[in-house]
Amino acid sequence: MRLLRMWYCKRKLSVFSPSALIVVTFLFFAMASVSSAGIQVQTREDTNKLTELSLEELMNVEVVSASKTAEKISETSAAIFVITQDDIRRSGVTSIPEALRMVPGMEVARIDANKWAISARGFNDRFANKLLVLIDGRSVYSPFFSGVFWDAQDTMLEDIDRIEVIRGPGSALWGANAVNGVINIITKNAKETQGGLVTTGFGSEERGFGGVRYGGKIGPAGYYRIYGKYFDRDAYANSQDHNANDGWSSFRSGFRADFGSSRQSSMTLQGDVYSGSADQSIEISSPTPPYQDLVNAETVTSGGNIMASWKHSFSNTSQMKIQSYFDRTERKDILAREDRNTFDVDLQHSFSLNERQKCIWGLGYRVTGDDIRNSYTLGVDPSSRVDNLYSAFIQDEISLIPKILRQTVGLKFEHNDYTGFEVQPTVRLLWTPDTKNTIWAAISRAVRTPSRVESDGIGNNTIVSPGLQGSGDQLAVVKFIGNDTLSSEKLIAYELGYRVQPSRNLFFDLALFYNRYDEIIATTSGTPYAALLPGMPVLVFPYVAANNVSGQSHGLELAADWSVSDWWRLQFAYTYLVMQLDSGDDNPYWEYQAKTGTSPEHQVSLRSGMNLGHNLQLDLWLRYVDGLKRIEVDRYMTMDLRLSWKPEKNVEFAIVGQNLFNPNHYEFGEDISLPTKVQRGVYGKVTWQF
Amino acid sequence: MLASCFFSPPAHALSAPEYEVKAAFLYNFAKFIEWPPGTFHDENSPINLCLTDGSSFRGALEAIQGKTVKGRKIAIRTAGTDGTAACQILFIPSSDMTQVGEILDSVKSRGILTVGEEKGFAQLGGIISFVLIGNKISFEINIDAAKRSGLEISSQLLKLAIIVRDKP
Repeated sequence: MRLLRMWYCKRKLSVFSPSALIVVTFLFFAMASVSSAGIQVQTREDTNKLTELSLEELMNVEVVSASKTAEKISETSAAIFVITQDDIRRSGVTSIPEALRMVPGMEVARIDANKWAISARGFNDRFANKLLVLIDGRSVYSPFFSGVFWDAQDTMLEDIDRIEVIRGPGSALWGANAVNGVINIITKNAKETQGGLVTTGFGSEERGFGGVRYGGKIGPAGYYRIYGKYFDRDAYANSQDHNANDGWSSFRSGFRADFGSSRQSSMTLQGDVYSGSADQSIEISSPTPPYQDLVNAETVTSGGNIMASWKHSFSNTSQMKIQSYFDRTERKDILAREDRNTFDVDLQHSFSLNERQKCIWGLGYRVTGDDIRNSYTLGVDPSSRVDNLYSAFIQDEISLIPKILRQTVGLKFEHNDYTGFEVQPTVRLLWTPDTKNTIWAAISRAVRTPSRVESDGIGNNTIVSPGLQGSGDQLAVVKFIGNDTLSSEKLIAYELGYRVQPSRNLFFDLALFYNRYDEIIATTSGTPYAALLPGMPVLVFPYVAANNVSGQSHGLELAADWSVSDWWRLQFAYTYLVMQLDSGDDNPYWEYQAKTGTSPEHQVSLRSGMNLGHNLQLDLWLRYVDGLKRIEVDRYMTMDLRLSWKPEKNVEFAIVGQNLFNPNHYEFGEDISLPTKVQRGVYGKVTWQF
Repeated sequence: MLASCFFSPPAHALSAPEYEVKAAFLYNFAKFIEWPPGTFHDENSPINLCLTDGSSFRGALEAIQGKTVKGRKIAIRTAGTDGTAACQILFIPSSDMTQVGEILDSVKSRGILTVGEEKGFAQLGGIISFVLIGNKISFEINIDAAKRSGLEISSQLLKLAIIVRDKP
């Protein structure tokens, strides 16, 4: 929650031209007519081993094919993008937020070495609140400020099976707060992570990191894995290009056990514990001198979770899933301390009503209790609160014309302790005129419930301004006051999508949207009044949270996937976004708090993956992000490069260069803490499986 | 619920890219097929494996190029320019299904093993069709099409296949 912005106007002259961007995009499409030269395929050695197998053995080989993902994407009437494990590994990213940069429609801005501003389709902010994020079905969305603390979300990247990103409202299925998108991070079944894996490396920004995982069997039909990981990241640069004091380190450990995966019933048990500490430069206010200070402060996060889920197939056409989890987080920050316990239980049943209709319905209950220790700069009243959330949903998929036209109707009812009853419906249509083309359309309504801070918060930002004519310093306090009568934010989204696969190795996915927002929460200014701090008269400017912003946004997202040859693949993503928000009030700060102008208008991502001979893989990732006008962040273009070598089947060496084009660049503006400049870096890594 | 558990050494599941597995299958099919007399010019003539479409599959097939089956080497060719006359095996990938009807019709009694991967390939008259069951590869054999072609398929191959007949 920002109270007052101070802009850092240090501009870094970017030495690239927009024409480079045009050339890159042109090259991508122009190369469609060039046929590939044959370079020795890296896979020759592996295929040789396959030819030594008998027919029976060959029929037992598990095939890794992209078609499973492709099938899922082609049958979804939503703007979905799936980040595969291969995408994660070959991109060289060391955290989940960084992997999200390859998804069209997503905005990922690194605020400093340990913080990100991540959103979909606008409203980007460190505390962006319109994106729901789940890890294996467990929500990691914090009700404290309605967003995700990305510095506390992590897992062993090698254990991620895929990350499904749906832009647009996923509320009929996932509930409130999935307004602009849902991110589902799905880890691998323990059956697929058997044996040992050790990974370690170090570099200039990734000072040191390591992870160990071991998986084995439990009885005849059970599998488990346990892991531990650690990393230590260097600070980035501040505005003077000195060390910015924003490094962080984290330790995490966990397990997963799966039972009976190939039978009628299966069960999964998983849990993690973690502990981390991250530094930053942060502005704090106090009622006593010096009233306002920029301090180096450490945020300590720790927590754990445990989750159990049970799936049962009653028949070919009827499946049920029950899932329950407990999650505890502790966050110690100089601004506030939050301890939170969450318990959630969810039931889902999918069945075929008749040969043309497939239904899913579900019930859910979540209780979350917190304990906050306030500071003068930020606090909540009451400082401790327990909230209950009840939800029910139903979704019906109807084959209007078998295999050609499919309609989905969905509805979610929720009752929460902030705004009462909420209804989120959606209607979707999927049209597959032939095997190469898919068209989908959707109209949905979604809501975002107010956060703890918006409802119960009290914040003080003291501003010291030098007195006039030597009469001494003047003190003012910008006071933020929460409002517990807030309604939820509303969205009506109109979406259209087109997917085409002109040939087996070329695929395009286009999504268009128009969003109408209403009752967006910002603040409305009250009448200033005089007050007294210990020994000092002060003028207080109150700002009360209110649903006073409305507006619209529209945009386009394009993903393209081209296997140029069997050793070279290109993946392209383009994002276009326009936002227009208005406030009824004549409030000078509504713009910033409504977060328009913190999202780039254009973004481009181009990944090139090459399988060279001799077990070498070379990956390039080119990214362009437009400037963020209102917070004065320059546009930037940068590149990551990864070269890996697998001398044997179970050892891989990789060297990764990140942000190579500029020595450093800003990606975001100030929020509560100072932004720092993302630095160029390189690291080396070795992964060993046994 | 977890009573007594015993931990045994982990089993590794073999997994590989789809096209490489299919290439290995094609190599194996050749071992269990007898071509009609007169198919081969002499005892050193290669078994010509023709592809209708160049790009995606070719790389994986290079691994079986030159491998020997019953004394003959496998040679990879393109069906397009040279026609299908000299082919012993013709592989039609999913991306090339637009003229499959004509192609299968023109080769049907000429001793060519037609292999496809698109759903329904065998019912259309193709001899062998790959199918994905879960994430493992299996295959259908259209015994009517096999009979028409003049090829002799070993019972060892037939017993592992899903037997399919022509569409009535």
